[in-house]
Amino acid sequence: MAITPNYYETLYVTRPDLQEEALATIQNKLQDSISTNQGEIIKAEKWAERPLAYEIQDHKRGIYYILVFKALPDASKEIEKHLQFYNTDILRFMTLKITEEAANKSKASQEEKAPKAETTPAPKAEEPETVKPEITKEATTEEVIVETEANVETAQEATTTSEEGGNQ
Amino acid sequence: MDSRRDKRYFSKKKVCRFCTEPIEMDYKNVDLLSRFITDRKKIVPRRNSGLCAYHQRQLATTIKRTRFMALLPYTVLH
Repeated sequence: MAITPNYYETLYVTRPDLQEEALATIQNKLQDSISTNQGEIIKAEKWAERPLAYEIQDHKRGIYYILVFKALPDASKEIEKHLQFYNTDILRFMTLKITEEAANKSKASQEEKAPKAETTPAPKAEEPETVKPEITKEATTEEVIVETEANVETAQEATTTSEEGGNQ
Repeated sequence: MDSRRDKRYFSKKKVCRFCTEPIEMDYKNVDLLSRFITDRKKIVPRRNSGLCAYHQRQLATTIKRTRFMALLPYTVLH
């Protein structure tokens, strides 16, 4: 059984005042760890600069970058190691395993390039073409690989939601 | 008796939005997800959101991911 490559999506938030060279070194490291694991980058771009919902390390704004790639599972570990190492510059990061269809869709949306200013009116419109939304939906957000610092808060939230569910 | 009670409490049956409409649950889609949180930033319960059990579970994890990435707040007290 050979290990097959998977599709991953990494979203990471940097400090708003991060120098371009510093960002470039980080992004090069991410690229290297993908290429050494038989991977290819499907999409790597700036997603948005927006105010954070809450302050992180006294920063009120953050720049979001998105990275969609196909690689062996080790690549995602390596990427997270790099992002963790620069944790003064990278405020938050999260890698999710996604399906091939979701990865291809993000590639397509990158090629269109023009109408992707805000969150997503475009993908909504595309959706009917792919039909079977349930299957893709299920898989796109399924396996969380890392949600590091959130674990504590998430656990709390889980208990509150389950209580609400029980009240019905 | 029972039938009368049924009539009195009759209300339009809610159908899960994510089952009927071709929308995808994505933790980056903040506009969509912010419709499923209360004024105090709690996740809306199923009786109000009208989602099916499967999608309500999906919604909860998705919102938690969104919160971790600082796209949505955990509370109003930040």
